[in-house]
Amino acid sequence: MSEPVLSARGLKKSFPSGDSVLEVLRGVDLDVAAGESVSIRGESGSGKSTLLNLLAGLDAPDSGTVAWEGSTDTGAGRRAAYLGMVFQSFYLVPELDAEANVLLARRILGGLDRAARARARELLGQVGLGDRAHHLPSQLSGGERQRVALARALMNGPRLIVADEPTGNLDERTGNGVVELLLGLCASANTALVLVTHNAAHAAKARRSLFLQAGLLGAG
Amino acid sequence: MPWYLHLALRQLFPTGRWFPFFTVISALGVALGVTLLVIVMGVMGGFAYEIRHMITDTEGEVQVKARGWIAGYPEVVKRVESVAGVAAATPYAVDHVMIKFGDKAEYPMLRGIDLDSVERVTPLDKYVRVGSLSDLDDDSIILSQQLAAGLGARVGDTIEVYSPLIIEKLGADAVFLPRQVRVVGILEIGHQQLDSSTVYGTLRLAQDLYGLGTTVHGLNVRLEPGVNEDDAAARINAVLPADVRAFSWQDSFSDFLWVLNLERNMIFFLLLFIVIVAAFSVMSSLLISVVRKTREIGLLGALGGRPAHVAACFCAQGLFIGVLGTAAGLALGFTGLAFRNNLVLWVTRVTQREEVMRRYYQFSELPSHLSGATVALIAATAIVISTLAGLLPAWKAARMKPVEALRSE
Repeated sequence: MSEPVLSARGLKKSFPSGDSVLEVLRGVDLDVAAGESVSIRGESGSGKSTLLNLLAGLDAPDSGTVAWEGSTDTGAGRRAAYLGMVFQSFYLVPELDAEANVLLARRILGGLDRAARARARELLGQVGLGDRAHHLPSQLSGGERQRVALARALMNGPRLIVADEPTGNLDERTGNGVVELLLGLCASANTALVLVTHNAAHAAKARRSLFLQAGLLGAG
Repeated sequence: MPWYLHLALRQLFPTGRWFPFFTVISALGVALGVTLLVIVMGVMGGFAYEIRHMITDTEGEVQVKARGWIAGYPEVVKRVESVAGVAAATPYAVDHVMIKFGDKAEYPMLRGIDLDSVERVTPLDKYVRVGSLSDLDDDSIILSQQLAAGLGARVGDTIEVYSPLIIEKLGADAVFLPRQVRVVGILEIGHQQLDSSTVYGTLRLAQDLYGLGTTVHGLNVRLEPGVNEDDAAARINAVLPADVRAFSWQDSFSDFLWVLNLERNMIFFLLLFIVIVAAFSVMSSLLISVVRKTREIGLLGALGGRPAHVAACFCAQGLFIGVLGTAAGLALGFTGLAFRNNLVLWVTRVTQREEVMRRYYQFSELPSHLSGATVALIAATAIVISTLAGLLPAWKAARMKPVEALRSE
């Protein structure tokens, strides 16, 4: 059996809170297989984003391990190729047009060539923005910006995408469209997805739903 | 192009904006500093260049001097002229005299020149404004312009020359009368000191006045074009008697050149502060940019950007602003230099001070000379300072942890 795309074991994370220590994660275990979609729900402040940051290698756990296909190397160099990220606030670079924002992921990874440009245009076409490739983020709606962010996350052909409340800043109809698109693109590319969301309907669309409560993951 | 350079360029020149405010203002500060440096260093270089020319025009590129006098100078001239790279040599005798015209007296240097050879070494004739060098004989002199003006003497006037020999012989009960000489020319070299205190006469007149007999004080030597003065001086020394030495004009005027260089360097460093102040403005703008783009910096980390590359992105912005500002500053500076005389003319006309300008500075046009090395120094210094201005913002950006930057409000 092949290694899971993402494997977390005994993740613990706490933060100082005044004179005390707030234990946010108390030993989270999680395995995500290739092409699998997993949603994580939880109340505000339950530690969903903290968990996602640990899974993405952006933060270090107090204890426990995160492995990507068996390797605990989750540093910046590997992250560029292995992982795509989608955020609630889109985080597009305002000075770059839609295509350049998508290509930024490849520029950072290295190997920007004609094929990469073609792929960026193809991805923009897949998210329905083929004709807006040279629009600046300020010229796009919230839903369009998030679709550009989806294309950017898929640009390097990642094995795993982590999405932190990708519909949090969108109205319900637009949010539904973005989630459908995200799930569809991941499925067609056989990319695993960890989707953190408040929305139960969105969470239910993932193959597996989990709920984070009291610092531990359970079935959703 | 690496992503951090691409992003730095895009942040400075966002798509669809021809004159991004931050970039233009930041570059303008650097450009103003570079413009001033180019104009001031160009004009100062012009003065220095003219003065150096004036020195070699009046003294030759190499000076041969003895502890006392040079005896048998024709033989010494022959030896010097036999040295490779030497075009010609001419003897001179020089000392202080007192000259009197009417009730006015001055104490200039009287320089005796050999009329047969002087023009091959020092093109004095081109500095003679009234009269001619060819009118000079053993009973006449040429006065420098300001000296003539001070005395009120004109061409054709007769003046009295008192030599040091008269004073020397006072105690010996000998009577030496002052020499009566005619003024046959007025000379203007363009240097305050020379124009206010120099008299030219024949070598024989000077020898008589100073009691030199057939000896002279030294030789001025003209070199062939392109010959190094120090090397030539060394070769000439090899053929000279032990008590006679040759010096390049740089050695002979080393104190004067040191002062010129000191002035030039001081002005350079003072004006450099304009670029440094502009660099602080660049730094401040980039620091604001780092704060404003905190979440973008977090994004770059999340996308796999290394901290060193994030730092390079902001450092490169300082570099690009420096390059842009320097290029604009050089263009403005050279334009300013090209139109400097129009500007001076306009200022002197508006203030009605054209005559004052000529009287005090002996020129009606501003000279300009800017070597390639000086231009390179100005450009490199401005670019390096601007790049250094990006270091602190770059360091702050590199220290941000992506997870904290993404969380920032």
